[in-house]
Amino acid sequence: MKDNKFVFFLLIPSFFFIVFFYLYPTLYNLFNSFTDLNLFKLRKGGNWIGFENYIDLFVDPEFIRVFFNTTIWLTLVGVAVRIILGLLLAFLINSETLKKYKLTGLFQVSLIIPWATPSIVAVVVWRMILDPQVGFVNQTLVKYGIITEPIAFLSNTSFVWPSIITIITWNTLPLVTLTFLASLKSVPAELLDAATVDGANKLQRAFYVILPHMIPSIIVMILMSTFWTFNNFAYVWLATGAGPGTFTNVMATEVYLKAFVDGRMGYSSALGIVMASIMTVFGIIYLRMIVKRNLKEIF
Amino acid sequence: MKTLVNVLIIVTGLLLTIKNAALAEIELSFRFNDAGQKEMRAALDKFEQMNPGIKVELQRIAWGSAREQFLREAAVGEGPDVVHIAQVWTRSMGDAGALYDMNELIEEHGIGEGWGDFISADLASQDDGTIHAIPWTVDTFAMVYRKDILEKAGITEFPTTWEGLHEASVQIKEKTGAVGWAIPSGSGPTNSIWFFLNFYWWSNGWSLVDRKADGSYYINITPEQIAEGLDYYKSYLDKGINPQSMLNVTNWGAQELIEGMVRGDYSIISTPENVLVQIESAFKERYPDKSNPFASTIHPKSSVTFVGGRQLGINVNTEHAEAAFKLIKYLTDEPVYTDHYAGMWPAQKTLIKQLPQVASHKGYKDQLILARSWGPYSTGPIPIPTMWNWVGRGAGSVFIGEKTSIEVANEIYENIKKEL
Repeated sequence: MKDNKFVFFLLIPSFFFIVFFYLYPTLYNLFNSFTDLNLFKLRKGGNWIGFENYIDLFVDPEFIRVFFNTTIWLTLVGVAVRIILGLLLAFLINSETLKKYKLTGLFQVSLIIPWATPSIVAVVVWRMILDPQVGFVNQTLVKYGIITEPIAFLSNTSFVWPSIITIITWNTLPLVTLTFLASLKSVPAELLDAATVDGANKLQRAFYVILPHMIPSIIVMILMSTFWTFNNFAYVWLATGAGPGTFTNVMATEVYLKAFVDGRMGYSSALGIVMASIMTVFGIIYLRMIVKRNLKEIF
Repeated sequence: MKTLVNVLIIVTGLLLTIKNAALAEIELSFRFNDAGQKEMRAALDKFEQMNPGIKVELQRIAWGSAREQFLREAAVGEGPDVVHIAQVWTRSMGDAGALYDMNELIEEHGIGEGWGDFISADLASQDDGTIHAIPWTVDTFAMVYRKDILEKAGITEFPTTWEGLHEASVQIKEKTGAVGWAIPSGSGPTNSIWFFLNFYWWSNGWSLVDRKADGSYYINITPEQIAEGLDYYKSYLDKGINPQSMLNVTNWGAQELIEGMVRGDYSIISTPENVLVQIESAFKERYPDKSNPFASTIHPKSSVTFVGGRQLGINVNTEHAEAAFKLIKYLTDEPVYTDHYAGMWPAQKTLIKQLPQVASHKGYKDQLILARSWGPYSTGPIPIPTMWNWVGRGAGSVFIGEKTSIEVANEIYENIKKEL
């Protein structure tokens, strides 16, 4: 009993930290989502309007496009590209060929550079690279006759999403690759030797020995990348400002536009709560996986 | 003993000095968002010399986030003492309780040649007469063009109609390869196309928001008329006379436009005067032996443009309202405009008449005579940034072919109607 009191006493600071640092802002946002709080009337506060913001949100035809952009383009395509490229790069860096020519270190270092680049700098650099007038990509394509007129990559509807995905991938791929590389290096050598003795070729070893070993880290990376991408504001906003028109508008940029351009803080809070609810589902999956894995390790 | 006494005297002296300094020193913060921070710092240094008890910290924030940042800060008792704001924000910021009521300060200390001498004073005060900011600068858009390129294309007179400007742009493209009117057509929340569309609509006598004699607001434009403006600008992109790359350009003073004009890739833009100053300065630096090829003129169809501008407000949370007002009085004096804030028109009629003007900038003076205030747009119930976003986003959707002009026009019309 005495021990329990002591443990409770030790937990008090953490309890207050969680309540005031995490729970209070979330509940405050939830409260705001039921009001008509306006940016221009912050001092006055908002009036209680019940579920009106949520109803407005779900009947707004623009919400379908914003939701599609966020889930399909930004998250699904963005994460899939990163995971596939990350795996391929990890295999390449871990390959015997690179080791033979002593290029492994060079590849690893060159991966650190984009990783260490802040997202705002990454977008600015890529905007310059993709610029229709002075950008390296357009100049090269025109020079070699691949295109006759420069392409406005960040405002042409056929190219704008692939361009945004390219920028995000460039900046975030290194972490995925290095995580997979660490997992790849932890594959027991005796397992690979046994597979070789049993007659497995390189492809079979990769599919039947290495990949199953990497599954936990792949799943964790998928979930983590989903968290980071779904809520991301900076890449889309800095690259396209959610345009052309509202073509690349995603939920995070819509929250900003509704709160700080239209001044509808209450509506924006409702949108934030919807985003948080979607992410909670992924959070529960993640936590269940981690808890399950930890229990397995203990028992 | 003697040493101890000496030490005590020194310590007492130091403490008194620190105490006096603390009492005498007022630390103001001034958030100034334009380029030219170095020049403004020099102006503030001079102010500090003239007012030994006041120190001024210079802050900066991007214009794109200035409004919401200040509103957030003011709501929780924070923010700079003196704030640099767009003139169309003042009324809503004052309404939000973020700005200090300056009436008493003006009454006590006076300002410039009197309140009546200030341009856009209506936007600095509320309907009940509460003054929430002091107009600082005014500007408007004028057409800036390269005389040499227009001459090469065989154009001797700058077009005076919208159709004429379109035809001239085609002619320039065909004969010189340069772009005629380079129109920034990007659709971010502070896009330029909002201004160009309004110029087109206003020159035809239409307006998104207007006010009746009884004080009520109404829409003075039909969806078809909104669509006409959208179609006009879309035609530049469709025919390739405004390059698709302009869909990337949102700002009226974007580096792409400045560089394009300096290099001669573009021959016409519509922009405020400070951008022309930057273009001329870059041209002079790059081609010191060439004569200035730039000129400015009014928009087609003697189009009305808006009197834009900046104002200076005092944060409602300030503890040094008197000192803040002293700083504003200093910043609105002539030497600041001539020595430190060049290229800006003062928002005072008397000072405008006194300031010298460069020949290539003549168009700005002519355009200012035609310009109107945002008037009902600003005093009406829909915040300008909200309409700006609707129009800019809608135009973007039309330009990329995602929606038709009439679809977007109906959306804009319905949104405004609903809010009015």
